[in-house]
Amino acid sequence: MIEIIDVFLLFFIVVCSVAAIFLKDLLSAIIILAAFSFLMAVEWTVLNAVDVAFTEAAVGAGITSVLLIATLSRTKRYEEQVNVPKEFAPVVHKGISTKIMPIVVVVITGAVLLYGTIDMPAFEDPNAPINKHVAPTYIHDADHEAGSINIVTAILANYRGYDTLGETTVIFAAGICVVVLLRREKWPEKKIT
Amino acid sequence: MARKEDHIISLGVISKILIPFIQLYSYYVLAHGDLGPGGGFQGGVILGSSIILYVLAFGEEEGRKLVSQKFNDIFSSVGVLVYAGVGILCLIAGGAYLEYSKFPLDHHLAHHLGMYGVEIGVQITVSAVMTTLFFETARKDDETFESKKKKKMEPSNLKSS
Amino acid sequence: MRFLQHLPVLVILIPLISAVVIPVIGRVNRFACWIVSCVALFFSLSGSIYLLNKVANTGKVTYHLGGWKPPWGIEYSIDHLNGFVITVIAFIAFVVAFYAEKSVEHEIEERKIPAFYSIYMLLITGLMGIVITGDIFNLYVFLEISSLAGYALVALGKHRNALVASFNYLIFGTIAGTFILIGIGYIYMQTGTLNIADLRERLPEFYNSTVILTAFAFFTVGLCLKVALFPLHFWLPKVYNYSPSVVSSIMAAVGTKVGLYVMLRVMFTVFKVEFSVENVPIANILIIISSIAIVVGSILAIAQTKIKLMLAYSSIGQVGYIVLGATLTNQIAMTGSIIHILNHALMKGSLFLIVGCLVYKAGIERIDDLEGMGKRMPFTMAAFTVSGLSMIGVPLTVGFVSKWHIAIGALDAGMWYFVPVLIISSLLTAVYFWRIIEKIYFYEEPALLHEDRRVNININWDRREKRENFGDRRINLERRSEFKGTRRKNKEDRRRQLDKQWQPLEQWDEHGRWEVVKNDRRVSEEDRRQFMPDRRSLEGIGRRTRDYNLALIKRGEAPWTMLAPTLVLSGACIFFGIAAKIPVAIAEKAAAMLLR
Repeated sequence: MIEIIDVFLLFFIVVCSVAAIFLKDLLSAIIILAAFSFLMAVEWTVLNAVDVAFTEAAVGAGITSVLLIATLSRTKRYEEQVNVPKEFAPVVHKGISTKIMPIVVVVITGAVLLYGTIDMPAFEDPNAPINKHVAPTYIHDADHEAGSINIVTAILANYRGYDTLGETTVIFAAGICVVVLLRREKWPEKKIT
Repeated sequence: MARKEDHIISLGVISKILIPFIQLYSYYVLAHGDLGPGGGFQGGVILGSSIILYVLAFGEEEGRKLVSQKFNDIFSSVGVLVYAGVGILCLIAGGAYLEYSKFPLDHHLAHHLGMYGVEIGVQITVSAVMTTLFFETARKDDETFESKKKKKMEPSNLKSS
Repeated sequence: MRFLQHLPVLVILIPLISAVVIPVIGRVNRFACWIVSCVALFFSLSGSIYLLNKVANTGKVTYHLGGWKPPWGIEYSIDHLNGFVITVIAFIAFVVAFYAEKSVEHEIEERKIPAFYSIYMLLITGLMGIVITGDIFNLYVFLEISSLAGYALVALGKHRNALVASFNYLIFGTIAGTFILIGIGYIYMQTGTLNIADLRERLPEFYNSTVILTAFAFFTVGLCLKVALFPLHFWLPKVYNYSPSVVSSIMAAVGTKVGLYVMLRVMFTVFKVEFSVENVPIANILIIISSIAIVVGSILAIAQTKIKLMLAYSSIGQVGYIVLGATLTNQIAMTGSIIHILNHALMKGSLFLIVGCLVYKAGIERIDDLEGMGKRMPFTMAAFTVSGLSMIGVPLTVGFVSKWHIAIGALDAGMWYFVPVLIISSLLTAVYFWRIIEKIYFYEEPALLHEDRRVNININWDRREKRENFGDRRINLERRSEFKGTRRKNKEDRRRQLDKQWQPLEQWDEHGRWEVVKNDRRVSEEDRRQFMPDRRSLEGIGRRTRDYNLALIKRGEAPWTMLAPTLVLSGACIFFGIAAKIPVAIAEKAAAMLLR
């Protein structure tokens, strides 16, 4: 039964991502991306990654769509061709090479990724190395050693708390980068001599 | 179709009802991070989205009265500082960086407090940054709260294309 | 002593905290931002020198974050290689930060300065965090910080195209980052660990697994994109060209070096040498690609007319040296490759800082405009000569040391055919640097110093009115440059002269660039946009840039806060060329460790 749900979810995920690429109306593309994120959230739940699902639903389907629409309000709703400075042309200019090259690159990347799955340990295989090495200790000790029943939180905030500090800094960096590039008011507000 | 004013009123009323619950929920998510799914990041996003909802319902001017630019900017720094500060407290307590067990408390409690500390830091930064992102990316008419104060426009306002 | 014990984390943490604090400080005082970042980086520099010294004396230094043991928690492990690289980064970052104050004031809008310092510190935090860590996912986290900061810094450039360059960089940087993340994910899937030392032990039994092969392929492609190795180099020249001088200095000096460090780590520490050389032929492929990169980079550099672009293409060649030295998998060549991380950082850092001085003082960006600069800015030009000679690889400079090691290593490995590649590229380097040195010292300075042409030196960006005038004045400026040497003493004469000069303007219509409405000093909307769209296109387009820029030429050197760091870096090019033993000793140990 769960496989049928899986197949449906994955099918719609692919449909959504393809639709988002080909739509010229960016607002529709954003809405479809929100749907994509929501389906991903369901898929994470099916895969038992509840924390990831929660984050995906809150961030991917929720706030990202709002931010993208906000961004759209500053630009235009429909895709159009823009003139790119000449020196950047090899990367962005129109013509066959730009249509075929990305497809070639994507197909090769996808093929290599698929090649990688040949020897991949089966999903939820208890004997896979991923479940044998560090994971048992986390599962066994998270509660009494790290003080959290939710192992994911124990790993994020305690075992690998330093990574989370880095991620928080990434968020901060994103904020300050957007501020420095987009803020049109004086920054900071007060006039300083 | 309803008239414009009706629309705004209903939007405002419903948002005002919803926002406290959304914010309460964000703290629930934060506080229950160690029991169920959730944590600082998700809590921060939810808190940020409650503020965004307020701005969407009442306009930027009102939104800026609620959270000013200065407030936002400072708090996006404060969150990271809280996180880093918990780590430095661990250093002072004699452990390695972010080693909560060295707090002079019960082992379990020390870990709990340390984790809450960092999660609160994450939540502060995430919510402040999300709000900032929304304020900065959304379109502003020239008659907004900020630009009313100044008569002259900034050069970068002139043409953004 | 407890303080020193926590040094590995503090070296990263202090810049991180300062990055977060600077925007808050910037609300009160802008000058303080600069002070804070300098102090923080000085602390990092002294900390990393202490760590390097400790590593050289007692061996590997490890630090367990959160007190968790390695495979479970994150570990910082400092050996000869990353001790060396982190010292290089801290040194260059400190010197460039010291230099930044005046340069940033000149090139970046005032209101953005605190944010600039904050993002700069984030960049350094990211780069140092990548290098010092012993955990491959932690490496990725810091890679994200540094990339994000890099994109924003590039976009701060004055020119309109800086945004496009930044966007380009963002796309390719993100692809590279994603590839690296896929690599990490695949490795984790097969081994269940993220710790580098642990990976090294657990990986060999999976060397023939397709998962690991795929992971290695993704790592290699991602890192090649990140370090701009030849066929994937296209984003780099534009980024260096359009970013502010300070940013191009730091990116050229240490930005790509960190990518190279990660490459060495992945190829020789995460995977063993046998794997990178025997199981997959990637080392052999990279040898060929990097020798092509060396030659092509040098040839492309000769073709450039802008100094920054020339240096950028030469960087592509220099990246080739480091990859070549590493993939020869010979201890001497590897030593050369590791020293070249320091040497190239010194040389390129110094050269880009000199370009920054030129932009600050003279507004020069093109090679042709350097004529006679030897008299105007003797110290800066001396520094340029030293760094240029070092790039060529003249004995007693750092460039020689690394090229010598790589050449000897190639001979030692029995691959003599790479020695001609090195010699050819040195000759090509000599061609493009000699061209400049000739212009500096053996050409007369052009008689372009002209009072009238300084009309708009200080444009106040905060005022719209001046900008409105700017378009017209700008055109005056352009026209006057055609009448070199005409100097009017009083204003009325000057104005009359200007009015006369409006006549020939209509001739420009043929080129489709100007449309003058009845001598009324009005140009078509389109040209107006070309000239005054926003601050980014201040530099104008093409040739006109030059005319405007020359208006800024003043005699004398850049202020000492800019000159001193430049001289320090170019002096270091000679110092480490003569006292090569110090870095070589460390690099030898690092090379032995990598190839064990």
